[in-house]
Amino acid sequence: MANTNELELLKKTKLQRMGINFVAFFKSIPTKIKNLGLSIWGALKKFFWGIVNFFKFIGVTFVKGDWKTKVSYFIMGFGSIFRGQWLRGILFLLFEVVFILYMVLLGGGYFSKLYILGTQETITLDDGTKIQGDQSFSILLYGVLTIFFIAALIYTWYLNIKQNKIAEEIIKEEKKLETAKDDLRAMVDKNFHKTLLSLPTLGIVIFTILPIFFMVLIAFTDYDKQHATLFGWVGLDNFKQLFTWTAGGKSFSATFGQILLWTLVWAFFATFTNYFLGMLVAMLINKKGIKMKKLWRTILVFSIAIPQFISILYVSQMFATDGLINGLFGTIAGWFGNHNFQPIDFWGDPMLARITVIIINIWIGVPYLMLVVTGILMNIPADLYESANIDGANAWQQYSKITLPYMLFITGPYLLTSFTGNMNNFNVIYLLTGGGPINTEMYGDAGSTDLLITWLYSLAVSDSDYKFAAVIGIMVFIVVSVISLVVYNLIPSTKNEEEFQ
Amino acid sequence: MATVKLTNVKKIYPGSVNATVHDFNLDIADKEFIVFVGPSGCGKSTTLRMVAGLEDISGGTVEIDGEVVNDLQPKDRHISMVFQNYALYPHLTVYENIAFPLRLQKNPKMSQDEIYERVTNAAQILGITQYLTRKPKALSGGQRQRVAIGRAMVKDCKVFLMDEPLSNLDAKLRNQMRAEIILLRKRINTTFIYVTHDQTEAMTLGDRIVCMKDGYIMQVGTPTELFDWPANLFVAQFIGAPMMNTIKTELTKEGNKYYVSPFGYKLEVTGDKGKLLNDRKVEPKEIYLGVRPEHVTLVKEGAKNGFPVTILVNEMMGSEYHLHVQTEDGTKLVVRIPTINLSEEERAKMVAGEVIHVAFEGKAMHFFDIETEYNLLTDNQYHAEDDPETPIKSNEAESELPAETSPVEEPKAEEKAEEAKPEEASKEEAPAEEKKEEKEEAKKE
Amino acid sequence: MADKKSMSMSKKRRIGNIVTYVVLILVSVIWILPFVFLVLQSFRTENTGIVNYVFPHQWGFDNYIFLFSAETNFLQWYFNTFIIALFVCVLQTAMQFMMSYTLSRFRFKLRKPLMNVMLVLGMFPGFLTMIVLYQVLKAVGLTGDNAVPGLILVSVASSGMGYYVSKGFLDTLPKSLDEAARVDGATRMEIFFKVILPLCKPILIYTVLTSFMGPWGDYIFASVIALGSETGLNVAAGLYTWLGQSMISNNFTHFCAGGVIVAIPVMVLFMFLQKYYVEGVTGGAVKG
Repeated sequence: MANTNELELLKKTKLQRMGINFVAFFKSIPTKIKNLGLSIWGALKKFFWGIVNFFKFIGVTFVKGDWKTKVSYFIMGFGSIFRGQWLRGILFLLFEVVFILYMVLLGGGYFSKLYILGTQETITLDDGTKIQGDQSFSILLYGVLTIFFIAALIYTWYLNIKQNKIAEEIIKEEKKLETAKDDLRAMVDKNFHKTLLSLPTLGIVIFTILPIFFMVLIAFTDYDKQHATLFGWVGLDNFKQLFTWTAGGKSFSATFGQILLWTLVWAFFATFTNYFLGMLVAMLINKKGIKMKKLWRTILVFSIAIPQFISILYVSQMFATDGLINGLFGTIAGWFGNHNFQPIDFWGDPMLARITVIIINIWIGVPYLMLVVTGILMNIPADLYESANIDGANAWQQYSKITLPYMLFITGPYLLTSFTGNMNNFNVIYLLTGGGPINTEMYGDAGSTDLLITWLYSLAVSDSDYKFAAVIGIMVFIVVSVISLVVYNLIPSTKNEEEFQ
Repeated sequence: MATVKLTNVKKIYPGSVNATVHDFNLDIADKEFIVFVGPSGCGKSTTLRMVAGLEDISGGTVEIDGEVVNDLQPKDRHISMVFQNYALYPHLTVYENIAFPLRLQKNPKMSQDEIYERVTNAAQILGITQYLTRKPKALSGGQRQRVAIGRAMVKDCKVFLMDEPLSNLDAKLRNQMRAEIILLRKRINTTFIYVTHDQTEAMTLGDRIVCMKDGYIMQVGTPTELFDWPANLFVAQFIGAPMMNTIKTELTKEGNKYYVSPFGYKLEVTGDKGKLLNDRKVEPKEIYLGVRPEHVTLVKEGAKNGFPVTILVNEMMGSEYHLHVQTEDGTKLVVRIPTINLSEEERAKMVAGEVIHVAFEGKAMHFFDIETEYNLLTDNQYHAEDDPETPIKSNEAESELPAETSPVEEPKAEEKAEEAKPEEASKEEAPAEEKKEEKEEAKKE
Repeated sequence: MADKKSMSMSKKRRIGNIVTYVVLILVSVIWILPFVFLVLQSFRTENTGIVNYVFPHQWGFDNYIFLFSAETNFLQWYFNTFIIALFVCVLQTAMQFMMSYTLSRFRFKLRKPLMNVMLVLGMFPGFLTMIVLYQVLKAVGLTGDNAVPGLILVSVASSGMGYYVSKGFLDTLPKSLDEAARVDGATRMEIFFKVILPLCKPILIYTVLTSFMGPWGDYIFASVIALGSETGLNVAAGLYTWLGQSMISNNFTHFCAGGVIVAIPVMVLFMFLQKYYVEGVTGGAVKG
């Protein structure tokens, strides 16, 4: 592996090496982009051929199949039922019936209006009777549901045809067809994974994928307080607003920029303060010669056991102007002769509020980090330290040359997840400050400690400003995925798996 | 109690171009003890796992007792298996571990009494009765091994599979268990397939040995056949310890006498081997000469076929010396000299730097083609049947193909195998790899 | 000379240890004190708002009596949360194990795509789905006063996505166990229930514990789904209302007492199962 170039590198100083690596990283970007493009192109090609093959398969099977197969093209499961695989057949048939019923009774009507999301307003006639108009929300929701349903139907239809083909082949080879009993048996054995997965994936499709798909669509509508029942497609207007810079005056773009910046700053500090202080505490507890290790650890773990909302809400009140902390400060000031102590408004001043939030987050996060770090510290092979001792490394050198690199290596991915986790750390911010102090300069009365996620919450829940909530949601996704991708490709843990093992 | 027949069995792991096991053909007789042996990554475990049903079969058929079992689940194949790491269920006691397969039997369901009967019986045979109530964690490696064997033997099975069962034991225990397996085999009296990388195990246990390399069968035969008549250079070097010495040299013929000329000496090929060369009318050419260390003998200076060598290292093994020596032209050889016949004086001479005289025993010389590496004196060239260029040929066509007529094609196949090697080697440890990959994935999150 | 040096070394170590102890005591105090304050203030009776002193001037159980009186819905909230936690911990654990077991033990065509889809979905803020789910649940009448089943549904339905920790554990169980069981005649289902599940006890307990604790602190979903209801709230959303602008002066000590009541059962459970929690956290962080 070590080619001459790498050996040359060893001669350079650390700084020079960093420089060379840095340049190499940027030099590699074009090839990386090229590779990415190639793989996308490959995927597209594969997709295209997949579709071509799909139609080819359907056509060929129809032409070559027997009459049972041909009927199955229209009555799903027909072939399976008449070949004795009645369980599969009935399931296919049932799905088709359900689909038709759904389309006739519900989906069809909504689906046809999906392109415009309804026009008819609800009218109240003079005699007080109401004529129910279109509900854009329902149209969109059922429309999306119908799209999912159609996709599922196409897939099942395909499966149904494939089943017919396989069954025909088996009969031709004079082998035994799987009976319904075999199917049932396979459900707990060969196909047990399908049995197990069906419920969780169904849950994810209905309760996560469908809503996310729906919300992504909302970002392209004008769904807000003014357009609560009847809204329509607006294309990229919302995103245009996000990217047209209008300084000051409650502009959406400026607010978004500020909040994104604070979100990143917060995530950075929240992650690294916790990480290093957690490591410090863990190392202190694990230090040789320190007794009652279990007690110290239990005291910290104790604070995890208490539901977070209690501790966070209580601590937030401790820092109120008339809270305990100010009381304490007042008393201390009194000792020094200052009887006119002005309470500090921790939650009133933007900068102070931000700092306080980060400090309190240390209090919340360190015990958890302490546990994580302790587990890893114990896994560092003791002989590394023994040999370092023999080589004459002092405590600081041992930390910076062994402990820290090892920790960073092992916890690299964890740091990444906790960074993105902190970006979306709703509980701490919302329960501590509620996003405040409110900044009247910002769109939708966002606060100085608002993260994107808490802003999204208040836009949606308090202001019913769904379209922008959806836009923010998409932006959070983009930011998180970009950071994850970039960092994941940079951290060494993913590349040199074996280095420390 | 059944025959096992593998016909053109093939394994290609998904996502890989090269096969891990190439057309594998083997007939295993009823109650035979077959050993698959080869270096790691040769496909021996994969083949065993295909017989067990733990790996999908990419091509060909596996028959047990005349029934094609390709599509059968392991549980429907009537097999028992002992795993390398024992695979004991940690949460069950030894008794429950051994009873596990019996309790799972459905029609007819086995009565508790019968289960008890069988488990205690097996425990008695294996001498683990006193541990029946313990958990596997509380047992030593050897005891765990016995439990694993017990679990495999209580069930009525047609084929008994063992996947490197002794490789996790220390050397002493391994020898002991090896002997016990020989005894056990007499008791169980069924068809055995045993996988190992250790040639000693293969030699001592097997009725027949299947020697494999890079997914190809190199040779099938009894231990004696493999030792005395290795089909090719690979088998010759793999079987026997220390490894056979090979010397690139010239085979010449004068009259009806054959000569080899290693390190500038002209040595006559005497005995059976000389005769056989004559019978087969072997053309003089460049060859690899193979001589096992135990077939290099100590001779007096000036003896026929003798030549001087300088001792580099002397490893004292107790009953014999393993001498690492160097000839005058710098070639290194290993020589095995029994100590029992040496006088004190002679022993004193066996130190580094001393010059001794040795000779090759003519009757124990092996001759290998320089290109194909085939033994010039044997016929069964397994490698030739499995030309990857023509993967699925009819059986007759292949057997018609005389082994030695494909020297031109063969190097190609060899190259292929060579290329495939790193990938295949990694495939052998597929589960471990998989796990690593999983970790990576998990980290992503 | 050598003696002197070793003396100074042990002295140095002793000083180091003393410093460490001081820091640890300080850390412990900082982490414990807020909870001590919380408990103290829950016994304060002279004033129900925020005060800036620690020790109550008048002690009493008034705040606790208030919680159990008909004046508040606290008991209802408590009951709601308990029911939710009970259902969620059972169902969520089941969902997560279904997912993690399959992903760890089976190799099928859609495995990688499925994992990638879940990875991508995880990058969307979870709250985004809430807006839709609220409307859907509202349509079927599972919001407001009937929020409890709705909350259970929402918490459980997508929980398969949180499979990482348990999969990390399952991956450490040797695959040969499954293989041995297959040879021994077990179906995949029997392997799951008879071999794998008994071995998962530590991670099973961890999963049950964390999913039981989750609903006690869940504010965001509860506040949305139970929007506008007094009786459908869980403790987190309920107690939060007491700290609103207009409520806090009358209810701060009630909040403290409520917090204590909520914390006690969770804490007791946690302390008993601490070992498993620590195992899960340390194992999970390295793998996921």
